[in-house]
Amino acid sequence: MESVQLEYSPEELMSEDSYESPLYGGDVLCHGGYINDQYVSPRGKVRRPAIDAWRTRLTEEGQPLIHVPDAYVPPHYPNYEQAKYLMKEGLVQPVSRSLTTISILEGFGARIRDVALPDFDKEVVEELSGTALAHLDKGLFEAHARDEAGHRDQGGHKQMWEAARDVGLDKPDIPGDVLMRLMGGGTSNRKAERIYPELSAQMEQTIISMANILVVETFAEDVFAWAMELLGDEEVSADPKLAAHLVDCVRIDEKPHVDYLTVALSELRGRTLISQDGKRTFEGSEVVDHIFSRLLRGSASNRPKEARERLQQEIHEQIQDVRRAENVSKHFESLDSGWTFPVEKDEQLEILTKAA
Amino acid sequence: MPKLLNRLHRASRIGYTALCVWLRYKTPQWWDRFRGNNPETRDMRGIHQRNADQIFNTAVAMRGMLIKMCQIVGTRSDVFPPEYVSTLSKCHDRMPARAFDEVRDVVESELGKPIGEVFAEFSETAIASASLAQVHKAKLQDGTTVAVKIQYPDIDHIIQTDLFSSRRIAAIYQRFDKNPMDFLPLLDELQRHLRMELDFRREVESGDKIRTLFDDDRIVHIPEFHHALCSRRVIVMEFVEGFKVTEKDEIEAAGIDASMLMPRLMRAFNKMILAFGFFHADPHPGNILVTKGDGGFPEFILLDFGLAKDLPDGFGMGIFELMFSMMTFNESAMLRAFKELGFKTKNDDDNTLIHIARRMVGRSDSGSFQGEFTEEMTDEMFDAIRENPVVEVPTDFVLVARAFSLLSGIAHTLGQSANALDAMGPS
Repeated sequence: MESVQLEYSPEELMSEDSYESPLYGGDVLCHGGYINDQYVSPRGKVRRPAIDAWRTRLTEEGQPLIHVPDAYVPPHYPNYEQAKYLMKEGLVQPVSRSLTTISILEGFGARIRDVALPDFDKEVVEELSGTALAHLDKGLFEAHARDEAGHRDQGGHKQMWEAARDVGLDKPDIPGDVLMRLMGGGTSNRKAERIYPELSAQMEQTIISMANILVVETFAEDVFAWAMELLGDEEVSADPKLAAHLVDCVRIDEKPHVDYLTVALSELRGRTLISQDGKRTFEGSEVVDHIFSRLLRGSASNRPKEARERLQQEIHEQIQDVRRAENVSKHFESLDSGWTFPVEKDEQLEILTKAA
Repeated sequence: MPKLLNRLHRASRIGYTALCVWLRYKTPQWWDRFRGNNPETRDMRGIHQRNADQIFNTAVAMRGMLIKMCQIVGTRSDVFPPEYVSTLSKCHDRMPARAFDEVRDVVESELGKPIGEVFAEFSETAIASASLAQVHKAKLQDGTTVAVKIQYPDIDHIIQTDLFSSRRIAAIYQRFDKNPMDFLPLLDELQRHLRMELDFRREVESGDKIRTLFDDDRIVHIPEFHHALCSRRVIVMEFVEGFKVTEKDEIEAAGIDASMLMPRLMRAFNKMILAFGFFHADPHPGNILVTKGDGGFPEFILLDFGLAKDLPDGFGMGIFELMFSMMTFNESAMLRAFKELGFKTKNDDDNTLIHIARRMVGRSDSGSFQGEFTEEMTDEMFDAIRENPVVEVPTDFVLVARAFSLLSGIAHTLGQSANALDAMGPS
């Protein structure tokens, strides 16, 4: 019987398929390309089967996978109907801002290559060879970073979102406050508090970073659906076919990110973590589940509220006629889905698939 | 001293200093070449120190523009030898002050009244003095303690003379040195900036504008101005106290979290440069004080807005895109950012910009947000630009790069990192 390959070199994990033609977003060369007229993601030739092999091993060991139910994913704000309504009323700026912010956040995903990994050999009781965890700094993080921010002469997701925006909205003005809002307006940066101070800072930060990015990538599913519907709508998009296709390419590219982060975090759940002083151990499931649940709830419940307040403010700033602004604001609100996070407490969250 | 004599005196002193510095470096090289020695192995510390001492002494004696130049060198511990940095950093706010009688006339002529009518107390000893002005502590008639910034009476003339002399010296140097650096564009820039700095009314307006930018963010405090007492050559403002941003030991001893100095300082400047489009372009350590803010975090008091600058619409986003593309090693995005910022080539030929982008991304095969835009990349970029003189660099970019460069120098002194993108990025 042929043994399954579980060890890979960085070069293998970043190797490319033989594309017949490259992907362009407008005049910007992007990554990946086409084979038989189908878009194929970058750096996937070996990465895809490698992630499948690690996941298969994990499920064969009887370990469950981290999973976010659809019900936990907040709808993009403003939703498709609201965004389309705003655009038809001449308010393109909120959509332009939204797409620009998404592009920047995607680009910042490249920070994953800077995550300082813990010494897994010392800080995890069990053996890690042949796992996704053992390959984070051997190609997985670097491939992810390049997918997000581009590399050398190729654009990544940041540039693909920008291209989708420019193609779909016909090179709209970029609101001047995008970076200010991203930096958090009046809030100043403070030190993050430790959640598990007994663990090494690197271990905790690695789990937080991976969990955070996994939550963002999972929530992005709804963002893709929203953007494809809006930018693919002939009534408001300048080039519905290309704009929606570019977003679809990003969606396709994100799948390996969700997959390897899911596998790596799930691998860590099934292991035992050692405290910095070596005197105490923690069940990986306790640490990972707690951190993941906390981030999941925080991301899902905070963002829509802030976005809603800002958009209402913007409608009133952009429309000078007070009565018209009120009417637009009212109708805009009536199109809101009224979504709220469905679970009261972190402990009630269901974040796992069933064990195989 | 008559103006002509004064001009000759200053020109000869500056020229003599430049010649001494040049000869102290060249003579050992000639000697080593003559003896067949390797000049790389020579211990240069003594020469650096003697040159730094002489430059400092000349700057202190001559003041004006030379002090400005020394301030820049004094913050670049990553570029210049420690002998220069430790010696020339004294130019930040420890310049010997002028005698009170020399500046009293300026105050009285600007306010149109004797000092005693406006102030209940006026300390004759300056609390700080720098290249263009000195500051005195005083008390208004209502008992409010204030700081009074007074422009030196003869500074206009001094600057004109120094610029003229420096241009002549730079021209002579370029004729004699086989591989000369082009100092003339630097002098053009310096001239433009000094002109802005000499009108204090502009400084007051700029300070007010920056204060509004931080209304909802207590990371930065701008001293309040007493507008009725401010004029072209005098500023009367709120008296504030704090530690100099590079006094790390004192800051820690006061219970301020020193580890957050650079992250918060970079955040403050990111806000001004990338988001507001209006910024304090002269963040040398003498212009940044630190006090204890909420929760023991550092709060910054910014001083001296003579070089505050508006940026064109979209410029902050352009700078962000350039930094981002540099740190993610995306040369095509870097090329677009160069163009958006207004970099130009002769005949609109992209190849030069592509060459610069390739050179910058060529240092490694992977990017990092841990890298500093300021220290590593601006130096590399300006090296590449120097080697490709067809490139026209936008003035605003030079100012922004200089500000980040000064912040980088502060970070270096604190043993921290001036990471602009990390300071703004979402967690």
